[in-house]
Amino acid sequence: MIDAMDKAAGISPDDALFAARRFRPEFVQGAEECRLSVLQPANDQGLARNLRVALARRMAALNADPVLMAEYDVQLVQLDPTEQLRALARGETDLEEPLATIVRHVDLITLTPKKAQASHIALLAQAGLNNPQIVALSELIAFVNFQTRVATGLRLLRSA
Amino acid sequence: MISAVRLKPLNWHPYIAPVELSEATPEQLDAMKVTPSAKKVSEYVRTLAHDPESYLARTILFNAIMYVEGGLARPDRELGALGASIVNGCKFCAVVHARRHAELTKSDEVVTALYLDKPEALGPRDAAIYSFARRLSAAPSEATADDIAALRSVGMDDREIIDLIHAISIFGWANRLMHVLGHAESGG
Repeated sequence: MIDAMDKAAGISPDDALFAARRFRPEFVQGAEECRLSVLQPANDQGLARNLRVALARRMAALNADPVLMAEYDVQLVQLDPTEQLRALARGETDLEEPLATIVRHVDLITLTPKKAQASHIALLAQAGLNNPQIVALSELIAFVNFQTRVATGLRLLRSA
Repeated sequence: MISAVRLKPLNWHPYIAPVELSEATPEQLDAMKVTPSAKKVSEYVRTLAHDPESYLARTILFNAIMYVEGGLARPDRELGALGASIVNGCKFCAVVHARRHAELTKSDEVVTALYLDKPEALGPRDAAIYSFARRLSAAPSEATADDIAALRSVGMDDREIIDLIHAISIFGWANRLMHVLGHAESGG
């Protein structure tokens, strides 16, 4: 059975790459556990699942990944998003707080992590995020950046 | 002849207050693997323990990617990690993985070339790995079929390339925690 990463990379069970991925069951299982831990955790720390999926959709676009954009679009529609969350997912910046502060941070860390400074974390705290939320948001940002890179690498390998 | 770059380990400090062990929940203690005989837990681990589910899941995956037996040689995984850390600006991670690469290969040559920004001094295998690591890290769309062809031309098979993709990508993750949630300082 294919998993989320196979789907993102366009791998089907009869591809050689499907078997090659399973040479590392730890990576297959581990990446899936990570996905669940940031997108549908048992304890969401007050960052709702539809916010998390909307942010993932936004980051898939920042990473120019149309396959993952489409996947997160499908997930978001099923999670009853508000108009604000739909705008956030589309990449808009003119949003209510704390969403406006969150997306400025998400965009910066996705595109230019090198520029991260202490003041950026202070802005999240000023917008009302507590420490568990700051860490959970950081893990979500980092995961989607991991996911888009693995998916891209596997796609290149599949077609090369 | 250039002299070897010698890198000293850095110390990392968070921008937010880490979890205090005396106030940690059972789930946090379990994720941090705190036992009566192992009470020393780094600030980094205690910071991430604010969200124990993601910390635990990522730690298991990270350890598999960097340490699992067979497949891509350990120094090659470290070189992928180092390339990502340089692009992503995580000085702490770059120093850790540069030192590990030097230890594993018993040579400072590759690390010296990279710290002096002379990638042209790398051999063909290291050059192919480093170039792919830089491009995939900068933006996924910068990596191309030419990168895969270069890796194959130095003898890497699909399983090794999958290992390398994961080593680079997990630092797209780790760098976005370490460099974002805190900063590195020279050790005392």
